[in-house]
This record gives sequence, structure tokens and C-alpha cells, in this order.
Amino acid sequence: MELGNLIQVLSGGLAMGAIYVLVALGLYITHLTTHRVNFGQGDFLMVGAFLLLLFRKLDIPLGLAVVAVLVILAVMGWLLDRVAIRPLDRKKDTLIGAYSWMLTTAGVALILQNVIELGFGKTSQYSAPLFSSKRDEVVQVLGAGLFLEEILVIVAAVLIVGLFYGFMFHSRWGKAIQAVAFNPEAAMLLGIHTNRVKVGVFVIASILAAVAGVLIGPIVTINPQMGLVLTIKALIVAAIGGFANPVGILIGGILFGVFESISNYVDSGFGDLYPLLAALVIIAIKPSGLFSERSADVR
Amino acid sequence: MSDNTLHVRAVPARPSNRLPYALAIAIFLLLPWLPINGFFIFLAQTFFYTAIAVTGLNLLLGLSGQMSIGQAGFYALGAYGSALTSLKLGWPVPLSITFGVLIAALGGGLVGVFALRTRGLYLAMTTLAVGYILDIVGQRWISLTGGAMGLSGVPSLDLGFPKMSATVFFYVSGGSLILVQLLADFINQSRLGRNLRAIRESEVFAASVGVDVSSWKAAIFAFAAALAGLGGAFFAHQSGFVGSDAFSVRLSISFLIATVVGGLGTKTGPLLGTLILLAIVEVIAGIDKYGLLIYGAILLIVLLAFPKGAAGVIGSLAQRFKGGSTAGAGAIDRSDKGIPETSALAGLPTSHTSALPVQQTALTSLSVQSISKSYSGLKAVDQVSVEVMPNTIHGLIGPNGAGKSTIINMIAGIYRADEGSIHLGDLDLSSLDIAKRANLGLARTFQNLQLIEGVSVLDNVLLGIAHKHSYSSDFVTWISGGELEGDERKEAFAILEFFGLAQFADRLPTQLPYGTRKLIELARAIAQRPKMLLLDEPIAGMNTQEAKAIAQVIIKLRAHGITILLVEHNMEFVMSVCDTISVLNFGKLIACGTPAEIQNNPEVIEAYLGTGAKK
Repeated sequence: MELGNLIQVLSGGLAMGAIYVLVALGLYITHLTTHRVNFGQGDFLMVGAFLLLLFRKLDIPLGLAVVAVLVILAVMGWLLDRVAIRPLDRKKDTLIGAYSWMLTTAGVALILQNVIELGFGKTSQYSAPLFSSKRDEVVQVLGAGLFLEEILVIVAAVLIVGLFYGFMFHSRWGKAIQAVAFNPEAAMLLGIHTNRVKVGVFVIASILAAVAGVLIGPIVTINPQMGLVLTIKALIVAAIGGFANPVGILIGGILFGVFESISNYVDSGFGDLYPLLAALVIIAIKPSGLFSERSADVR
Repeated sequence: MSDNTLHVRAVPARPSNRLPYALAIAIFLLLPWLPINGFFIFLAQTFFYTAIAVTGLNLLLGLSGQMSIGQAGFYALGAYGSALTSLKLGWPVPLSITFGVLIAALGGGLVGVFALRTRGLYLAMTTLAVGYILDIVGQRWISLTGGAMGLSGVPSLDLGFPKMSATVFFYVSGGSLILVQLLADFINQSRLGRNLRAIRESEVFAASVGVDVSSWKAAIFAFAAALAGLGGAFFAHQSGFVGSDAFSVRLSISFLIATVVGGLGTKTGPLLGTLILLAIVEVIAGIDKYGLLIYGAILLIVLLAFPKGAAGVIGSLAQRFKGGSTAGAGAIDRSDKGIPETSALAGLPTSHTSALPVQQTALTSLSVQSISKSYSGLKAVDQVSVEVMPNTIHGLIGPNGAGKSTIINMIAGIYRADEGSIHLGDLDLSSLDIAKRANLGLARTFQNLQLIEGVSVLDNVLLGIAHKHSYSSDFVTWISGGELEGDERKEAFAILEFFGLAQFADRLPTQLPYGTRKLIELARAIAQRPKMLLLDEPIAGMNTQEAKAIAQVIIKLRAHGITILLVEHNMEFVMSVCDTISVLNFGKLIACGTPAEIQNNPEVIEAYLGTGAKK
């Protein structure tokens, strides 16, 4: 592999890795507080990507369109908790009890996929670029032609991950989330509205999915079926980080994206499967994830 | 019952259900000869092999509580395994189907290895990913599978009757379903199902009654995958065409829908669920555009409104119907008046005269030598030694956070000691896992009470009783209409009688008061024929009268040769029951001796009342 190719492959991997991190952080934050995740997290991303596509076709200015996508997805996160997750708390004693949320959130994902298929068709679509004037604008770095969009997606994702960390560890809200994660009853005694936090994390997770959906548009083609594979990869990235350590998720997501990009380059047929298999082996050997030990420090 | 001269009440009999089988077999034999549309025969075939796969998932998820969102992957392994070997290697179809089943079982066993160390979300994620990977491989390895264009001309299953292949296929797939249903019913009713249910309840609990949790989990995964593979193999030979489109995650979701809609963990659930699923599929065929929407809506509606599924709905309707005519005739009476006002303990000391059927002759001591345990730098237990003499009751006391639970959990094997050793008699337990320790004669009860909620009190006690026959001889007894585990049931019933619990034998634990459930747990521990019994807060949450009754039971157990170590906060109880007592504070042993010595030990008084307190 030439240096130029290598840099191209790395930049593509970093961009996808950044997307995985954003989606996985959404899974992390709900798992931390409720021990549940949205099995349609990837489908929420897909909805975000298609909504942006729609708004821009309607010639709504980019900034306004992005804000609208974030708001709509935030509402969807709230609805998800209200409709598909919270009501299950009263049915814990049934046999399926502990797993109901997996199936209800997957059910919502199927519905979303179907709705988008009905509205946009089943075929893949190109989303307009966010930052540059045309989709394949290239900048030269070390003799390699890199897509401007990819670089800016990476930069944007890094900024948002930074914001997320600031929110989680330095804001009052973030501390409330940590407190509920540590012990919901004790948090309630401290005056934290545990139920609000529990719905809040699903809203935050949906907003993260929306951000990822906005960013992913220009770097891949989007189709209504893309949600499942993104959910799987995000789950795996979160598991590599032990579901408990956002720094582990950041490293895991980027490694996953880069590994995937390289293995796709080497084997165009089955390249995307190798990182999945490798991650499954890692989880089998070390179920608590590669970076779980640090969770104590992070908390 | 022939032996009820011994007992005041007879051991409750298991309900017999041979009639439905006979009826099903009669209809099944007749069906192909009736003048009906070939399409219905095709539908019936589809029902048979789909129900086989769903039955496997029902055992996995409903009985053992292990989630799989990737059953379509094993279904695909069975389908390709059988289609390829019969098509490309010319193997006879029965042999190729067997091969497909084995490949699927192997795949399931491999995923079971993941299941050994993970559970819940991780397991769901792993199975989802494995199913996805197998789906993609099927799509893209076109030279082998033909991808979406598929393999056509897969030999049909005609057993040498090519003109009657539809009928032959009907009989073979239907016959297989009947066998699978028999096997699943046997698993449901026998010790196999009990152990799986214990694993679902809690893995630590299952291990502490001697179940080798890892092997059981791997085995149930392999078995469920084998059934999915059998379904897939039949699918491949039904129409002679196998295309990769059939094995997407949508199929895995379909199996889950059938399992949940039918009634998770019930015997008839998979059959009902498969019927409903096929009806949905037929309806969707016309409006495929809305297929996913309908699937998703069904998942939401069933889980939110009818989490017990069709079998549950039918069951409660039947109960309501029955309740009108013959009140309380059912084995399980859910009406409120059936729940006793007071616990069984109230009348305990006088009500039983029967001796415990378990008498330990080999008296055993427990020797804990300078064990320590740290949690990330904090020393929870520091060089503690405890000697429990054979056939005595030893109490372990101390303020909250003194390390009592950590010690009990190290003795039971849940935590490994950082240093030190634990001996039961001459046996070194230090490096053994929970189940091995349990099987060597170490039984325990839990602070937060562990029972299988969904099965009767008698079945809970049976969980502890040693298995007297092999599974195959059990199966023969069961299928020939004999009483399954008759001897074990008598023994379990005798233990319930000793505890004055005989009248609750066929109740569910959830219908009984807390004190009675605690006693059932103790009965289950005794059923394990322990040499050594660990009791973690045996009277927590009980009233004075119940506590006195428990004290008398514990003293009686000592008279039967059982050595006991107990942790308890109630001082009056500890002082009246224990022969010797160890006192812990901040992870260190501060005193050891008879109750009288402990009561006068200044260090103990200080630990409990605080420094500077006046006597």
C-alpha cells in the first residue's frame, strides 16, 4: 500500500470510526443509567439522515434543517421511552420481562425502517455535502487526495465527543446522570428526578444518533436498511469499551473504523466482517471489554 | 397413590396429557388422505419445520432465559449444510439433514461458549452479530451458496417414493415435530427443565444447588441451534430452492415473534405462536410493503399488552371458565382466599412428627484458615480463621460491613479468597467452583431468598434432591406413562412434611408469605443432603414467633448430623442457637468462643456499642 493510499484509507476509517463512537455513546449513556439500550439506535440515525435529505430537498437552509432534525429525533427519543420502554417496568414479573425492551425497541426500529421505505423508496440515495460545495471535493495532504467532507466529519465528531465529555463530567446534568447510574434510590434521596434522568438519557442518545445521521450523509450512501448494521457495530464498539467507559468507547470506535477501512481495502468481498469477528473474539475472551478497568477512574 | 398410608396428604400427581398427543397424531396421519388442496399440505409442512425451530428458541429463551436474536443463522447453517451435501456431494437426504443439524449444533455450541461468560445484553448482541455475519456470508459467498440467486434443484425428501414426495415430506417433518414436542415436554417436566429454570433465575443460585452452569448453557444453546438447523434443513428440501434472502434478521425476529406471541416458556406456546406467525406471513404476502411495520407493531402490542402470549390468554380464559363451575379445582389456585393468612411456621413445632429422611452419618467440620479478600485496595476480610466443629452450630456476627457476607461467599465459592484455604473435612475446597463445592455437601440459603418462582414448592425442593436415574431411563418412564421421578418426589415430599409445608406442595412460591418461602428455601437446601449448611440471615424479615420456630428447626437439623454456619444480626437468636460464635469487625476476627464468653468480651461490646460506651 502506498503512503497516499494508506492516508486515504486511514481518513475514511477515522470518519466511520467517529460515526460509530457517536452512535455507541448513545448506547453507553442509556445503558449506564437504565441498563437498557435502543436496539434501533442505528435506525434512529437512518431516520436523521433521511430527514436531513428531505429538508434540504425542500430548500430549507442547512442550519435550520440540522436543528429541525435534532429536535425531531429528541422528541422521538422521548416517545421511545414513553411508549416502548417505560411501560415495561410494570411487567417485570413476566418471563420475557428482562428482555422485553430489546424486542420493543427492535419493533420500533422495524416500523421506522418501513416508514422511511414507504416515503423514500428502498434504494440508496446520495445526501448533499455539508461543508463543501460538491460531494467529492478533494484536498491534498502528504500527496494523498482526501475528501474534504471526511476530514470535516472527523473534526465535527471530535468536537461533539468533546462536548459530550464536558457535559457528562463537568455539568450538573452529567453529574445527575452519574448519580442515577450509581444508585437510583440514593440519587432520588438527593433530590434528583430519577425518572427525568431516565427519559433524558434516551433523548440524549437520540440526539447523538441524529448528529451521526447528519454527519454520515455525505460520506456514504444512505438507505432505509442501513440501521441494523450500524446498531450491531455500535453495540460492539460499546462492548469493547465495556459499556462503562467513554474513553474506551472512543478508542474502540476509532480502532474499529480504521480496522474496517483497512480490511475493506485488502478484501473487498468480506472485509467488513473481519472487524466484527475480531471484536466478538475479544468479547468472548474478555467479556468486560478491553478498557473496562478504567471505569473506576472515569467515574 | 398407593403409599398414602404413610402420609397425611399424597404427593401431588403430575397431570397426564396423553390425549392431546393421540388426537394430534390421528389428525396428522389422516390429513394427507383427505381431499384437500395441495397448498394446505404445503402450509402444514411449513408449520411443522417452523414450529421445530420455534420450539428450540422457546426452550432457550423461555426455560433457560438466554436471549438469541440470531436463530436465523443456525437455520441457514442447517439449510445450506443439508442442501449442499445432498446437491453437490450426492449424499442421501436423511444423511444430509443430519449433517445440517450437526453443523447448526456446532455453531450453536460455539455461540454457547460466548454465553458462558456473557449474558443479557452482551449475549443478545453476540447472537445478533453472529446471525448477521452468517447472513452476509450466505449472500456473498456466491460460488458456494449461489447468494440471492440461490441453489436450485436441491433433492427432495422422498425416501424412494418420488411420486409421493409431498406426502413423505409431510410425514417426516410432522413426525419430527411430534418427536421434538415430546422431547420439549419431557425437558419441561423433568429435572432438565428444573435446572434450566434455576439458571434463568440466577446462575449463582443454580451453581449453589450443584448445577454445572457452563455445560448446561452451552448444551441448551447447541440444542436450540440444532432444532433451528433441523427446521432449516427441512426448509431446504421442501421446494428444492435455497436463496440467501430467506435468512435475514427478519427471520430471527419472526422466530422471536412466534415464541413470544405463542406464550414464552409454555408447552403449547411454540405451536400456537407458529400458527399465528404463518397467518401473519400469509396476510403480509399481499401487502409486503407494510411487512416490517406489521412485525414491529405486533412486537409492541404483544409485549405491552399480552406479555404472556396466546397460551397465557387461553390459560386465563380457561381458568375464568373453570372458576365459574368448579371453584378451586385446579392444581394452582390463584384466588385470594387460597393464600394462607399466617405462614406455615406458626404451627410448626407440634405439627410434624415425621423424622427427616436425611440423616448424615459422616459428620464434617469446616476449617477456614486465614483467608483474606480485597476489593480494589480495600481489605474486606483480613486473615480470618474460623473453625466449625463437626455437628455444631457456629454463628458469624459483626456490625454491618464487618465482612460476614464476603466470608460466606468465599466459603460457597462465589468469591475466590486472595489468600488462605478452606477445608470441608479433609477436602480442600479452595480452588473448586461453586457447583463442585455444592456437590461435595455444602448447601446454602441466600440473604435475599432464592427460589424458582414459576414452579411448585415441591419442584423447588426437587431441585436439591440427587437424581437417582439417568435421563434416558427417566424419559422411558415418562413416555410409557409412569410417574416421572417418583422416588425423588416422595423424598421431597417427606422433607416438606418435616418442615410442616406438605399442604403447600403444589403451590407456587409467589403465592406464599415471606416466612414460608424462607422455610421452603431451607427445605431445598436440606434436600441437597448437606454435610455443611451455610445460612445467610435465616430469620431476616421474620416475626418473633417465626424466628423461634426456625431456631427449633435449626437445632433439629443439628440433631440429624448437619454442621451449620450461620450469619445473623438478631443477637437473641444467635445466642440461643449457636454452640460457638466468631465475631468480626472491619474485616478482622476480634473474638471467638461460646455465647457466654462472647457476651462478656469487652472488645465485642465495644465493637457493637462504640468506643467510650458504659456498660
